[in-house]
Formats: sequence, C-alpha cells, structure tokens
Amino acid sequence: MTPGVTIWRCERCRAALFPQRLLCPHCHGDAFVEERAHEAAVEEVSTIHHMLGQADWHPRHIASVRTAAGPRITVGLTDDCAPGTVIDLFEDGTAPYGAARK
Amino acid sequence: MRLVPLNAFAATTPMHANAAIIGVGQSAYVRRPEPQQSTHTFMRDAVLAALADAGLGARDADGMAVASMSLAPDTAVDLAWKLGLSLRWLLQDTNGGSSAMNMLGHAVRAVESAAASVVLMVAGDATGLAGYARVASNLNLVTQMHLAPLGHGGPNGVYALVTSRQMKKYGLQKSDYGHIAIAQRAWAAGNPFAVYRAPMTMADYLAAPMVADPLCRYDCVPVVAGAQAMIVAHPDRCPQGRASVRVRAHRASFNYDSQEGDGLATGIATFARELWQEAGVRPEDVDLASIYDDYPAIVLAQLDDLGLIADHDLGRFARREIGERIFPINTWGGMLSAGQPGGPAGGLNGIAEAVLQLQHRAGERQVKDARLAVATGYGMTMYRYGGTAAAAVLERLE
Repeated sequence: MTPGVTIWRCERCRAALFPQRLLCPHCHGDAFVEERAHEAAVEEVSTIHHMLGQADWHPRHIASVRTAAGPRITVGLTDDCAPGTVIDLFEDGTAPYGAARK
Repeated sequence: MRLVPLNAFAATTPMHANAAIIGVGQSAYVRRPEPQQSTHTFMRDAVLAALADAGLGARDADGMAVASMSLAPDTAVDLAWKLGLSLRWLLQDTNGGSSAMNMLGHAVRAVESAAASVVLMVAGDATGLAGYARVASNLNLVTQMHLAPLGHGGPNGVYALVTSRQMKKYGLQKSDYGHIAIAQRAWAAGNPFAVYRAPMTMADYLAAPMVADPLCRYDCVPVVAGAQAMIVAHPDRCPQGRASVRVRAHRASFNYDSQEGDGLATGIATFARELWQEAGVRPEDVDLASIYDDYPAIVLAQLDDLGLIADHDLGRFARREIGERIFPINTWGGMLSAGQPGGPAGGLNGIAEAVLQLQHRAGERQVKDARLAVATGYGMTMYRYGGTAAAAVLERLE
C-alpha cells in the first residue's frame, strides 16, 4: 500500500488529470509532472453485491470521489462511507482506494 | 406525436436518397449457448436471416460491417472468409454500444458513394456469463489498471454511481427507473425473441435483489448470446410491397468531454441540434424511439439530450410518457427484457426494431402508422461513463 494516489499535472496549463493522458485535453501539452493526491470527498457510493461469473463473491464498496487536487476518480472503499465523508487515499498497485479519516 | 408534415421539409433537407435499410434479421437469443454455438455461428444465423428477409443471396453482398466483443482473434475479414463473402468494402467497429449506429452511418455513405452496392451489417456476441465478466474487466487499459482490481462489478458498478448522481441532480426515485423496466417488459411480451416476456409489476421491480446500489436486477441487462444483421442497399432493391427505411440524418460523437463531466449528459448533447436540423423534423415529430438501454439512467440521459423530455423533467417523463406508454420507447422490450448479446448487437437490435416498426412489420407490438423514428447507440465505458454516442432519424419510404 502506498499513501496517496498518483495524478498527473500538465506542465503547461497546470490542469490536474487522472488517469494518465498522452496530451492534456485542455491545452494539448505533452509534459506532465506526477503528484500525489492524499485526500478526497466522497460524492456517490455503491455496494457491489453481485459480480457476473463469480459464485463466491463478497460485497465490496466503491465510490466516486473528488480529490483535493480536482479530478474525480473511482476508488474502492475499505469502510462503509457516506457521501460527504472525507477520506484518505492510498494505492494498491495501480488501484486507488480510500479509507475514512480516523 | 407528429406536429409537422414531413413533406414540409422535403425540399430543403439534405438526406441519403440512394441508400436505405431494406432487410433485417436476427439469430435466436439464448442465456446459455450450447457448446457447438459461438459468436461466429450466431452471426451466421443472423446474416442468413437478414439476407432472406431482403430477398438477397450471399453473393449479392459486396460490403460488410462487423462489430463484436468476442470475435477475436478473428476480425471482420476472417468472418467474411468463413461466410464465403468476397467484398470490396469492409469495416470493423469497436465502439461497443454505439458500434451499430456508427456502422449504419458508414454503410449508408458507402452505398451512396458506390463504394459498395449491398452492405451487410452484422453484430453479435456469445461470451457466456464468465466470458462477459472477463470482457467487462478488460474494456481498456484504464479499466484493467484502475477499476477491475477494485472489484468494481464491471459496467454495473460504473453506472450505479452515475445513477446515484442522476437521482440526486433530478430528484428521482428508484420507482422512476422502474417505469422504464416495466414498460419495456410489457413491450417484450410481443417479441418472440425476447428472453424475458412475463409481465413485471412495480412490486416485482422494487423487490428485486440489489446488484450494485441503487441498481437492482431489473436495471441491469441480462447477458445473452445472439446476433443481429441488417442490409443497406439502394431502396429499389427492397422487396416488392415493402417500404424501405431511409436515414434522414445521422450523427456521432467520440470522447465528448474527456471523462471530466458527470456522465449525466451524453455525447448526443453535442450533436442533437444538428441531427434534428439535418433531418428537417423536430423531436416531437417522431412516432417512436429506440434508445440504447444498457441502464435506465442512460435511457433518460439520452432522451433528455435528444430534446424529447419537456423541461428536463426526467421523473415526470419516466412516470407519464414511459410508464403510461404514451410515447413508445424500446418497443422490442429493449435490452433490459430482450437481452443484451454484447453492446454491438444490442445497439443493432434497437435499429432493427425501428426498421420493423417503420415497415409496419412489428406484429402485435406495432405502433400505429409509424413513419418516423429516432434510434441511438451509446457505449464504451472508458472510465466513469460512456464516451461514445451516435443517433439517426429514420423514415419510412413509401
């Protein structure tokens, strides 16, 4: 687990992006710097009760969150968070997650 | 609902005069394919049905457009080879639920420009449930890297979040979506190909198990195996005594907002005004609509983008125009009841239904005197929602 989630900031227009792009959708700049987004606010949540093709499935929580840096991303939630909750972000490999701030 | 006679626009409206849809066909739709059945065999069955419907033989086809999420490693030319077709125009579209509508635009232009004289459009899939789960986890690199490891549930999880957003923005209740599922189930009763035809009540809908909150079982398309096909050619080649169907206008959109919006408007919003202008008709003029229905929320979003929902009151439209079947939408039952053999064939099914309705061949689900329809495609869940959309206004040619 790595604290924070990688986002990409366009060097030319400073737009913050997730996921990674080849060119900035705003100015078409081709250079980006990586930053870590550590905090986000939960906007919508869902519990995945059922997965096609999976007989032994344990429900999981996902959420659409707005990072403090700007981009909205989809994360897995380790807690049952309601919309409005501020969460700490972390990565497991390339997968973004969030946990309610203790 | 038509307010303005079509011929009022005929003199000023550019449209495709030398290309029309002259035949449609489909394979059986099955929940669980037999071992000897595959994407290829379902496509063959649909192709044969469409050719027979148009009164053509396989040798007549000199163009083909193909879409599938489970044809690989074969591609369109492999399918042509295995169908014994020698062609001079070939296309493979990879845009999911908007593939079929994209292909229609390409096919019409191919016939108009004489690049081909008879274009066979075919789409189908036979993934099985586990196979569909693999497809859903590998729609693109972003899904592989950032969504599938979460156990996000494929498109169900993505559109659960979109639906929650739509409910919040428009003040919708769960039952508002129920009207879509229930109305389409009622239409499906008249479609012998639909996999679910038994009537559904609001109590049934509200009691259904949750798949991904707020989506329940009846908000999610049942995965089936099957294929659809359609023939585009000069209208003179239409079987005698049958009206061909002309494309009055066609538009498409790809990556309309770089996934930086809320997904509550679709790419249709970028071209709807042009679409109606080119068609020379207004939204309220159409007799029926085939709206790509991967999820009820996306049906409402597309209808709103098309300008069919007065005052953007999505809830009232769901309860009244759809719930009371005042406006015919997805009259074959939609994918929600007829089944989704992958997005590409699902999209083609909607176009085919509009064609059958405009040809007055829809049997007990026929919309009386249907002359004008709008059909859409929507797809490619790139990250937070679909990034492609396309639509056409279709007209019965007397």
